[in-house]
Amino acid sequence: MEIIRSENLDKIYKDNGVPVQALKNINLTVKKGDHMVIAGPSGSGKTTLLNLLGALDKPTSGKIFFEGEDISKKTVKELSGLRLNKLGFIFQAYNLIPVLSAIENIEFSLMLQGKPEALRRKLSLNALRDLGIEELANKRPNEMSGGQQQRVAVARAIVNDPSVVLADEPTANLDTATGSNLLDLMDEMNRSKNITFLFSSHDPQVIERARILIRLRDGQIESVQTK
Amino acid sequence: MTKNLLINLAWRNIWRNKRRSAVVLSSIIVGVAAIISMDGLTNGMTYQRLFNQINLGTSHIQIHKTGYTDNRLVKNFIQGELQLKADILRLPGVKAVSERVVTFGLVSSAESSAGIYVYGVDHKAEKRVSAVSGLIKEGNYLSGAEREVVVGYELANKLNAGLGNKIILMANDPSGKIHSDVFRISGLFESFSSGFDKSYIFVNSNDLQNMLSLGNSYHELAIIVAEPSLAESLKGEIRSAVGSDFEVKTYRDILPILVMQIDLSRESMWIVNMIIGIALVFGIINVMLMTVIERIREFGVLMAIGLSTGKLFSLILLEALIIGLSGTIIGLVITGLIHIPFSYTGIDFSWFSEGLVSLGVGAVIYPVISYQTVLLTIIMTPMIAVAGAIYPAIKAIRLQPVAAIRHY
Amino acid sequence: MNLILKLAWRNIWRNKRRSALTMAAISFAVMAAVSMRGLQIGTYELNIDNSVSIYSGYIQIQHPDYYASPSLRHSFNPDKKLISYINTNPHIIAFSRRINADGLISSGENTFGAMLTGIQPDAELKVTTMLDKVNDGEIFIRPDTYDILVGYKLLQNLKVRIGDEIIILAQGLDGSMGNDRFRITGTIKTGAEEFDAYGVLVGIETLQEMLYMHNRVTALTIRLDDVNNLNIVSDELKPAAGLNSVLTWGNLMPELRDAIALDNISGILFLLILFLIVAFGIINTILMSVIERFNEFGVNLAIGMPHYKLVLVVFAETILITITALAIGNILGFAINYYIVLNPIQFSGDIANLYLEYGFLPEMRSSLQISMFIQTSVITLIISLLSAIYPCVKLYKLEPLKGIRYT
Repeated sequence: MEIIRSENLDKIYKDNGVPVQALKNINLTVKKGDHMVIAGPSGSGKTTLLNLLGALDKPTSGKIFFEGEDISKKTVKELSGLRLNKLGFIFQAYNLIPVLSAIENIEFSLMLQGKPEALRRKLSLNALRDLGIEELANKRPNEMSGGQQQRVAVARAIVNDPSVVLADEPTANLDTATGSNLLDLMDEMNRSKNITFLFSSHDPQVIERARILIRLRDGQIESVQTK
Repeated sequence: MTKNLLINLAWRNIWRNKRRSAVVLSSIIVGVAAIISMDGLTNGMTYQRLFNQINLGTSHIQIHKTGYTDNRLVKNFIQGELQLKADILRLPGVKAVSERVVTFGLVSSAESSAGIYVYGVDHKAEKRVSAVSGLIKEGNYLSGAEREVVVGYELANKLNAGLGNKIILMANDPSGKIHSDVFRISGLFESFSSGFDKSYIFVNSNDLQNMLSLGNSYHELAIIVAEPSLAESLKGEIRSAVGSDFEVKTYRDILPILVMQIDLSRESMWIVNMIIGIALVFGIINVMLMTVIERIREFGVLMAIGLSTGKLFSLILLEALIIGLSGTIIGLVITGLIHIPFSYTGIDFSWFSEGLVSLGVGAVIYPVISYQTVLLTIIMTPMIAVAGAIYPAIKAIRLQPVAAIRHY
Repeated sequence: MNLILKLAWRNIWRNKRRSALTMAAISFAVMAAVSMRGLQIGTYELNIDNSVSIYSGYIQIQHPDYYASPSLRHSFNPDKKLISYINTNPHIIAFSRRINADGLISSGENTFGAMLTGIQPDAELKVTTMLDKVNDGEIFIRPDTYDILVGYKLLQNLKVRIGDEIIILAQGLDGSMGNDRFRITGTIKTGAEEFDAYGVLVGIETLQEMLYMHNRVTALTIRLDDVNNLNIVSDELKPAAGLNSVLTWGNLMPELRDAIALDNISGILFLLILFLIVAFGIINTILMSVIERFNEFGVNLAIGMPHYKLVLVVFAETILITITALAIGNILGFAINYYIVLNPIQFSGDIANLYLEYGFLPEMRSSLQISMFIQTSVITLIISLLSAIYPCVKLYKLEPLKGIRYT
């Protein structure tokens, strides 16, 4: 089942007045259950592409379809709803709300969705358990290590059963071992729960686990490899 | 050499982040504008009360026969032959002099009577000394016609008499005998003070002098000088010119309560300014603090490449000083620009309170900026800006460079 | 809603120093405002009470035309219903009858204008403090006597002594000039020039006879149990008074009322400016705290938090800080006012003497009127909320990506 599809996607932005073509003629499809990585050197446009596919940014030309619907036609409110209900995001850093504990961070989107308290608790605890960080439930971000924070971020991203989870350089600030553990967990989510993952990264550890690997160079798709 | 470097750096830092600088700058400008405007309005109000009284009849200087103030008797008159008026007019700084015959009397209409002060004046001289001639709302001011009288609206109402009606004036002469005469109302005036309107009437001096057998004597010399501040010094000169038979008083002596209230309000402005200053400090400290903290990474880098803590401290304070000075100057300029047109047209407060009108201030207030306040503001405000930056600066220099860089 | 409050509350604690400084600024302004207003209002009340209770009283009932045209023709005969109403109103302690007329007073050699007030001594004692100001001699007791009191300066000007006889000349109700001989039994000193140099107190019945007034009076003077009941009582009196006017001290002593209004204005100006400065401080603080958190807010928006909820969080932060600051500021202000109420500020030296000479009390007092605190708090809250608007507008327009990428 197709989750995200882009057609002839172009993105041009201005860097100090000079127009830069970040992406050119990107056509790709993300299907349910995919474990896809967009890889490439710095400046290749992978973060830009991820942001576009996650409806955080608008293309200069071309279309993006989310579950069959053209997202350029959606209102700000609809996009916000999309991000709440259908997408999960994991960023490189600063994912969590500093004043909330781990479990509260995870419950956050559930609360926004209006789910009742008992259900929220249950889902959040499950998510913590899945990521092996139950004991961090009541700790705040500044009481955790980088790796632990990222795990909470993953838990939050998956707790409301999104159609796709987008992760932008999730291991960039982690040491090799921690990063590896994190990636294993995400793999497990993908396999056992069939959660769709879309990564953008230049970390070899991320790339080697990709089942669909899209290489970008200078804004264009250089190759697509499937395992 | 390093001084210049620091100043250069400070200046560029301020421009580099316009938003931050604008935020602090705006606080200061508002504070400065507030203090100066407030000062201007309050001064305007109090001075106006004073000058309205002066213009209405108190004048800058009054001369009487010694003993008159304690005992306002008709027989304490000044002899006309003495030509005091001419002597005084010769003194530099004296703009106008009016001789006034003054007595308390009873004025009656068919229906009612009222106790009032009668001023017998030479209308040409009195016009240059008192504003009453300009306050005539119906009819005319004195013109020299026989037995005309000008009264206030309030009094006319009380007597139930109007323009053209006749009233009887009763007063006693120096020997104590009561005389009366009939006068015709030729004009009605209305001043800011209903008390004044109720209690003072004006007739031609010769009519009053005739009625009371005073010849060409009178009781009071009212003097207007070029600048109120000259009153005190002229008082001394006039004293020597007229001699010890006469008492010379300035408006400060005659209106002690009013003067005292003005002095008091000037005192209280100090407290007011202080409170506003403290409020300003709080606002600035908070913003300075956030500005510095926002830039902790930047400071960390500076220290890492070798800027000493002392110089960093100076840098932060220097930026605050520059912003403080600029804010003060801009604030003064803006306030000045706003103030100048208003000082000509005044600000109309009548919608705010009718009380102002009747109290002697008038509904339109002309702001008057005092130089002391401006000077004080110029000195204090940059100091406040710097003061607000001290605590944040101390925090900045206590950091280890590495910690600062890692500090997001 | 709980989520929003929870976030707001925790965000405040996150940066204790900044929150504390903002609170301190607001508390200070509130405290200063409340103390200053307290002093103003308290001193007004003091001066009003002082001036009003000497002569004019808080409320007077007069003929409807008397105020505009105060002549004897506009006198009235208070009817029984009115009198009995006044006697039964629980807030009215006492009332007295008055006649005001202008005349001349003469000792033969010296003649002066006189402000004649006809009074009922026993009733007047209960209503005003005029008769407490007798500084020499004795009060007369009967309303039909030919003994009078005069202002002490008037006695001097007339060059007579207590016990001497003088003649009073005045125009009666019928327009004719009447005169009579009276005996001065004492003098009063109030500090107000009009009484001390021109005031004459006469028995009301004597004056009524001399002026052909029968039972008419020019005013009924009323004393209240509590100054703050002024409006209630005057409203209650209006129907009972019928066509007659019910006037309060503001009408009777317009210059006092206007002097207070003037001072009030400068007080309000000061408050406005104080709050303006505080508002600016708040705007800047909130603005910077919002911009500082753009990264975090960007993430919030990216994971689906709607903009308006984010704005509500910031508003909630502002309100929480303001309410706390209000509590502190009001308590401190209350404490200061309370202290001054118990220990009024006394003037001394020349200033004090001058004030006393003119009949003012040389002191400043404070007030604990609730309305002051409420007004200040409401204004502060409004200003706070208004100050949050601009930063919140910036926040509302924030795009998630811009927030995330913000440096």
